[in-house]
Amino acid sequence: MIVRDVICPFCACLCDDLDVHVEEGKVTAVDNACDLGSHKFLTDHRMKGPVRRTASGWQEITLEEAICETAELLMAAERPLLYGWSGTCGEAQSAGVHLAELVGGVIDATTSVCHGPSILAIQEVGHPGCTLGQVKNRANVVVYWGCNPMHAHPRHLSRYTTYADGFFVRNAFKERKVIVADVRGTDSTNVADEFIRLQPGGDYAVLGALRAIVRGKGDVVPEEVAGVSREQLFRIAEICKKARYGAFFFGMGLTQTAGKYKNVRNAIELVDELSRHTKWTLTPMRGHFNVYGFNEVCTWMTGYPYAVDFSRGMAFYNPGETTAVDILARKECDMCLVVASDPAAHFPAEAVEHFSSIPVVQLDPFPNLTTAFSRIQIPVAVSGIDAEGTAYRMDGVPLRLRKVVDRGYPEDAMILSAITRRIADGGGP
Amino acid sequence: MRMVLNTGRTIPQGNFVEYKPSPEYGAETSRAFLAPLDLMDLGIEAGDRVRITYGGRSVVLTAAASDDVPPGTLFVPYGAHANHVVPAATHGTGMPDFKGIGVEVEHTGEPVKTVWELMEDLGGKRYDR
Repeated sequence: MIVRDVICPFCACLCDDLDVHVEEGKVTAVDNACDLGSHKFLTDHRMKGPVRRTASGWQEITLEEAICETAELLMAAERPLLYGWSGTCGEAQSAGVHLAELVGGVIDATTSVCHGPSILAIQEVGHPGCTLGQVKNRANVVVYWGCNPMHAHPRHLSRYTTYADGFFVRNAFKERKVIVADVRGTDSTNVADEFIRLQPGGDYAVLGALRAIVRGKGDVVPEEVAGVSREQLFRIAEICKKARYGAFFFGMGLTQTAGKYKNVRNAIELVDELSRHTKWTLTPMRGHFNVYGFNEVCTWMTGYPYAVDFSRGMAFYNPGETTAVDILARKECDMCLVVASDPAAHFPAEAVEHFSSIPVVQLDPFPNLTTAFSRIQIPVAVSGIDAEGTAYRMDGVPLRLRKVVDRGYPEDAMILSAITRRIADGGGP
Repeated sequence: MRMVLNTGRTIPQGNFVEYKPSPEYGAETSRAFLAPLDLMDLGIEAGDRVRITYGGRSVVLTAAASDDVPPGTLFVPYGAHANHVVPAATHGTGMPDFKGIGVEVEHTGEPVKTVWELMEDLGGKRYDR
């Protein structure tokens, strides 16, 4: 059987044109997906059932036992951290926020280690965004700043930019100019019309120089700014000003380097400056397929997009204090529930170390590095493969993920709701 | 030798992100891409091992040559190996410095650790079922 027009649950491009071949309850082939998406559909290394870590090794337990013990650990904790959420659907994220409020915990998403700084910048100066359809059909100049879409979002160029013909861009490859800014050469810089090779940490200065030129203050720009020549800066500014419609995409090159949200703020203000000459928009290249979804769900439930602390009985938001890496590095939380992410692989070692001194429960389909610190792991269905649900694309468009196979695993939302009910009922049988 | 460490995503890292215990994942996240001139300065060749150190933490990686990486910097695919030396300070933003870290790089004969060995160093226990 071939299931057509399936949405890919890997990155936040949420490509919606996959054909998935299913035979006897297993995915046997995937058409149209990139390498990353194909691997996710075809990976078959799932954990079989819930496990508990004991002194002598790993012990199989029932789902009921796993849910009861998780509820007890959450009830016993004074400052639980509920982290992850980007690899699951909106329904589970909503259940997670309810659970965090009930136990007076802190809920944070992988946002804090990807585009958290972008959100801080957007809260300062706004978000001149658009849908990816606008980019595909209108943009004739595209900037990728501090990102490598050929590796992190492999079909972004073919579906929306460099190779995607649009309504007003009939021959994209010839008509669209692509500018890539990076500290190193990549497969994305190789396809760029202009490669801005800047020195590490030079993003703020180069963006500032471009702002000055666009504003007509180019005389203050020196011969070279962070490794970029004055001549190239003027050339880039001219291309951007003459664009019919410009789209600025950016990644971790801005959010993870020194300056962080101030880099992103400078990029937004460059887009603002350019929009006094023509039309420009800006879109963060969100990573996980539903990391944007958590920010949407958390905002409409609490008023804040991530890093929400319920310990005061109300929603409190202060990134840098209520973000997961900071809480772990300060050894502040005394229990952690990890859902749909792998912080042990992606957090600095100093933060990961604290997992070894507190109880950790993980909801994830696969054994991963956080498994090494988990007291309990409950394998769940993979959203978009064996569970349906809502996910938000990187441009904020919600799409309904489909269930293409039934592997018999429980869904995140069901388990989280069962834990919540148990705690709300006082933890009794 | 003092160098600037940058981490980032790569296709092989992403391909095995849902199967991190695999040898393929560990092999990718333990690669350090350096400019050929820097390999010469370190007196090593591609395939040799280097130890990178920051703030009292260190990790051993396999050196690889890349013309795309500017001299004075090294690129390591995002994962447990690089994060062994990435500092946890977020400067009030929630985001650690995953890019632009001034690390010390030296030649070593020590072996590259598996991801499970790295987790065990941090107090974890491998999942071997």
